[in-house]
Amino acid sequence: MGVSPRIRFQQVSLSSFQQRSVQMTEPSNSLAPPGSVASIKATIHAFLQERLQPKLEKLKPEEDEQRQTLLQDYLPANWIPDAARRVGQIQQVTHALKFTHPDARGSSLSVAGNPAVGEEIVGTHTVAQRLVPDVVGNAAALDVYKFLRLSVGGKTILDLAATADPALAAAFSDDADLAQTLMAAFASLTEAKGQPASNKLAKQVYWPIEGQSYHLLAPLFPTSLVHGLWKRIREDRFSDEAKAARDARRNGLAHPHGYCEYPNVAIQNFGGTKPQNISQLNSERYGENYLLPSLPPNWKSAEVRAPLAVNSVFDRIFGSRPRVRELVRILKEFLVSVEHAGTNIRIRDKRAELAGLIRDEAFQYAAELRQLEPGWSALPECLLNGAEQCWLDPERAEQDTDFASLRQRGDWQDEICRRFGNWLNARLTTPCTPMGAVEAAHWRDVLDDEMRMMRDEVADDE
Amino acid sequence: MSDVFALVLLPHLKVQNANAISGPLTWGFPSPTAFAGFAHALERKFAAELDEGFAGVGIICHHFEPQVFQPPGRRTQVFRLTRNPVGKDGGTLALVEEGRAHMEVSLVIAVRDYKSDGDGKDLAERLHHAAQGMRLAGGSLLHQAGKRYQAQWWPLAGDVEGDARIFRRLRRRLLPGFALVQRDDLLAGHLDEMRATQPDSNALDALLDLSRLNIEPVVSQADEADAPVKWEIRRKPGWLVPLPIGYGGISPLYAPGEVENARDAATPFRFVESLYSLGEWVSPHRLNDLSQLLWTQETDAANGIYRCINRYSESLANFKEQQNG
Repeated sequence: MGVSPRIRFQQVSLSSFQQRSVQMTEPSNSLAPPGSVASIKATIHAFLQERLQPKLEKLKPEEDEQRQTLLQDYLPANWIPDAARRVGQIQQVTHALKFTHPDARGSSLSVAGNPAVGEEIVGTHTVAQRLVPDVVGNAAALDVYKFLRLSVGGKTILDLAATADPALAAAFSDDADLAQTLMAAFASLTEAKGQPASNKLAKQVYWPIEGQSYHLLAPLFPTSLVHGLWKRIREDRFSDEAKAARDARRNGLAHPHGYCEYPNVAIQNFGGTKPQNISQLNSERYGENYLLPSLPPNWKSAEVRAPLAVNSVFDRIFGSRPRVRELVRILKEFLVSVEHAGTNIRIRDKRAELAGLIRDEAFQYAAELRQLEPGWSALPECLLNGAEQCWLDPERAEQDTDFASLRQRGDWQDEICRRFGNWLNARLTTPCTPMGAVEAAHWRDVLDDEMRMMRDEVADDE
Repeated sequence: MSDVFALVLLPHLKVQNANAISGPLTWGFPSPTAFAGFAHALERKFAAELDEGFAGVGIICHHFEPQVFQPPGRRTQVFRLTRNPVGKDGGTLALVEEGRAHMEVSLVIAVRDYKSDGDGKDLAERLHHAAQGMRLAGGSLLHQAGKRYQAQWWPLAGDVEGDARIFRRLRRRLLPGFALVQRDDLLAGHLDEMRATQPDSNALDALLDLSRLNIEPVVSQADEADAPVKWEIRRKPGWLVPLPIGYGGISPLYAPGEVENARDAATPFRFVESLYSLGEWVSPHRLNDLSQLLWTQETDAANGIYRCINRYSESLANFKEQQNG
């Protein structure tokens, strides 16, 4: 990959910061034309005064010596070189190491992602245009960062330093060499400090590549990407707009927009009681990160029990499984919504897909019951019909010859399909959602297809 | 998958304390990279007798029990944490939150090498034995006795029809459970849909939209003005999840030894970030052929892209074409 792509990344990241800075407001106390030496000086002066005043107010009247020192320290000619020295203690980043472990020391980076990945895969490059930069390092030097984020003429001081702007140089010092040194120091804010380094507390993964060799990959935490997502989820959960929409729904009222819920989001905390130790944005997130759930469907499955007290599993037991109920509801809503739409390939596909998902659940349920000790259907308290016994307790045939011959006959398979079809049809045709004749005919076709597949599957089981 | 000779089924592996934080944006089931890495480590142990090696690994989850807790009155989950040993001075160490989960998974490993039936069964058993001494997604494998847990050797037939028959039989062995597949096609399709109304949408917007519940008022042409407005949850039928699928490089590839504190000084080094796509949990009998089940690792070193790939949607498109055509 060579060196050049890295330079390209940094250019991308810089341009995105510039875009952001356009939105920042101009300080109102500047009367000089924006971007001029005078306006930069005024902005810097205002910034320093704002920081100096609270410190002066804390002093007791007799502490005159301290007062003089403070006044000296906050003269631009003294404060700016000191800030240029301290800028080495902080770094502006998009990817930070310390989220992996607070004691990890090593490189953090400022990169707007890897655009070669493409727009259909999500990474930092996906939001490159809206990246919020993070800062890591010594929290005592954060005032330097605030200074560099000051906006003059639509650009930040950091932007101006990075481009060695002549107006900024003149504002910094009459000594051109000194001004250049200061700007170079400030411009280094986005650069990784020292030689590239990882840490024993950092993650490092061996990734196999062609020809029996490896690349060592060190994942860094994409704090800027995460920040955008965190803000978005918080807005969706807690903003006034979301609350208004929730209230409207509760009261059955109309509303110009809906809202979102994020079920089963998990919160991971970084930095304990000192989120600032990890990074500036981590502190703004209260040390929290929202993690979206990537769970399998069976993560909340209840214990499997033999269906003894029922004649058929479909209505009460299978039909009341949460996933089955949800799928039936989706299918019902869909059938109602397309009731007058006639039929087309999209409707047919979607209907078949939904019916297929419900059939999948039937197979899952049967497979769960087959994990029970075989022979449960022979218990005297078992009221289950013969066909479903054959389907759900197949291994009983090994110990029970009568049962084995009943299974051998095979007509139970048609019976299972019939029962499944009847159950599903009954669920979908209720007084509130009567099925029109045309719709019912389409639906029977779908069901016939499903039943054929189900029969093959059940028969193929042996 | 004409280059696959046989499948090894490692059924119902019980894993304790697997890593449940799969990336910076997701928690839950471990990333496919963890399973691909596990298969690769296993392959390395048998390098002497496998000239051609593995062609991928299928991931099926039978049971999943995350170690999380929902605090009263909250709508979010937190991780149950462990109390770790104290430092040298007796003080507590920095708390690094880890998420853990217990799970039961089956792995289907595609083997390229020819083996006789006897050798194949023997190989499957030894693979299983070796696997039990390894870590899977950071968790440890518990030993399970019984026929249900024995490794199985499934030689393929070598012709399309025979392979299909064998694959159908295998699918049923994977029930009850769900196979993890990649649905980058649905993500791309949803992005297109969103862009029709919001042109500046990106893949993260699409992924987020598919990962949450969207509750919207139903716009109706109702005549009665006072009738209560119906609200509706926009539902997605499949079980779709955001899924970390690998890494994208964010630095140049450094020469071996150039980066301080690397795990070794002989391997090129690169800083990366996690990449995300959309995944789906499907019932195994949804899978039409082996290629829909398998995950493989692919590298584009020039562009710094390190991905796990599953070809479910690709085969799905082909399959539909065949059926319609």
